[in-house]
Amino acid sequence: MSAATTTAPSPSEAPPLRPRGPFRRSLNRRYVITAYLFLLPAFAFFGLMFYLPIGNVIANSFNTGPQADVYAGLENYRRALDDSAVHNSFTVTVVFGAATTIGAIVLGLGLAMVLNQRLRGRVVFRAMLLVPYLTSVAIIGLLWRNILDPQLGILNRVLSDLGLPTQTWLNTHPLATIIAVTLWMNVGYTMVLFLAGLQGIPEEFYEAATVDGAGPWQRFWRITLPLLTPTTLFVSVMAVISGLQAFGQAYIITGGGPADRTDLYIFHVFNVAFTSRDFGYASALSFLLFLVIVLFTVVQLRLGRRGEVQY
Amino acid sequence: MHIRPVSPARVAGYALLTVVCALTVVPLLYMGTLSLQTEAETLAADPVLWPESPQFGNYVELFERAPFGNFIVNSLIVAGGITVAHLVFDPLVGYVFAKFRFPLRNTLFVALLATLMIPLFVRMIPLYVMMSNLGWLNSYQALIVPFLMDAFGIFLMRQFIQPIPDDLIQAARIDGASELRIYARVILPQVKPALAVLGLFTFVFQWNEFLWPLVATTTEEMRTIPVGLTLFNQEYFTLWHLTAAGSVILFVPTVLLFLFSQRYFVRGITLSGLK
Repeated sequence: MSAATTTAPSPSEAPPLRPRGPFRRSLNRRYVITAYLFLLPAFAFFGLMFYLPIGNVIANSFNTGPQADVYAGLENYRRALDDSAVHNSFTVTVVFGAATTIGAIVLGLGLAMVLNQRLRGRVVFRAMLLVPYLTSVAIIGLLWRNILDPQLGILNRVLSDLGLPTQTWLNTHPLATIIAVTLWMNVGYTMVLFLAGLQGIPEEFYEAATVDGAGPWQRFWRITLPLLTPTTLFVSVMAVISGLQAFGQAYIITGGGPADRTDLYIFHVFNVAFTSRDFGYASALSFLLFLVIVLFTVVQLRLGRRGEVQY
Repeated sequence: MHIRPVSPARVAGYALLTVVCALTVVPLLYMGTLSLQTEAETLAADPVLWPESPQFGNYVELFERAPFGNFIVNSLIVAGGITVAHLVFDPLVGYVFAKFRFPLRNTLFVALLATLMIPLFVRMIPLYVMMSNLGWLNSYQALIVPFLMDAFGIFLMRQFIQPIPDDLIQAARIDGASELRIYARVILPQVKPALAVLGLFTFVFQWNEFLWPLVATTTEEMRTIPVGLTLFNQEYFTLWHLTAAGSVILFVPTVLLFLFSQRYFVRGITLSGLK
């Protein structure tokens, strides 16, 4: 930063033809003060609303008591390791996160490849697929709870009209059902991202491969997929992050049940915090998930970077 | 090359897309017909596809059963307030990082971007305690203040402001314009499409936000539509016609915004992949 505070370039440096920024030559106190002044609200905001809370979560995770003000050392973390409800909730959430991520990639990429064939009406199809993503989880949760209802829901009626077996979906396959609803909600988003990625692959690559005798299968594995790595990486990171912190699906559709089979982690933390009023334990639990998400993201980015190719 | 009059892949493509789009749209249309059915029709063992006579009165009854007017006003104030705050602060901070040079610039920018890694669930409990200590629970402050700025919005605006020529700023300075005036009159007009993307996304996501309004409100009058509607349904779980009517009210503004500005939304999603 010391170079930035010099007001004139040193004689040994060739002077640029044109200053690159208005402040390169005139980094004077006035503009520095202006910059800090403009940033002041942002410092205050991110300090108070992001850094202070995460500091509080870490501090409270070592505390216990209804106000989370009695120091208890590692007690909350020890408790989490032994808590079978937490283990269950974590497993449920990992399954949910993995299934929604893989599903979003497979379905999103598949639909994007179909849409990428320059079909007429592409914009209309794209718009329709994107609508659920822009719809509140409250609407989607309530609507699907109605549709899936074993007594009055329309899904079983349609299935029986088609001669297919009916199910009490939220009782027999609760986790699979909320995974499917989540995919229904999010697939448009991943599709749009993959579509943008596909449109960035030059047509010549496919032409050259076809001339060399590559079939559609080979073109997909050798050209499409490798060149989409940055998109796939981004989609998978985003899907894992949002999958692991899903909440509304459990709160609205299943209430975590039956028998805690859809007790998504944040729903569990929410109940520990606001039903049991155990802020210390809830802080430790949320910090643990935060660590898991950071770890997952770092590993995914590492693996993804290694898999990146350039032609 | 041989000529293909009708490509079977294309036909299969259309067929597949039609099925998938039907799966997407039909449930939402069904929500619309539910909102026009009588209570008896919604509870019939044989689900009704279209009501005998559409019950538009459901939309009136909803406001009598729950303070739905409050929910709408609350949602408008909260989502609108947060959107305005983003449109004011995100470009300003983005502008400073794009065009000013000052000590610690990179360090501060990294500290800012790091907040993208801090999800709402980590902030939820401490923010609740903070709002409760301030006596802010059940207030607009509690619903708006934790979301006044957004690191991704700042990052986005910085990317768009960076290519604006410095000469433009320099010229305005020589003319004696104040720094704030330069920001408002020189910078902002150059990034209008980016502002549209930022504003639309912020509004739609805050309009739909569920977790924080659920945590920060305990009185019915202060609920936003998503929370108010969900808790209404928990209380009156047989009144599906009213729940559906409320869902339609929550749904229509976002879908209208989307239909009239689809390209901004698609651009916004693609931009989110810029990171």
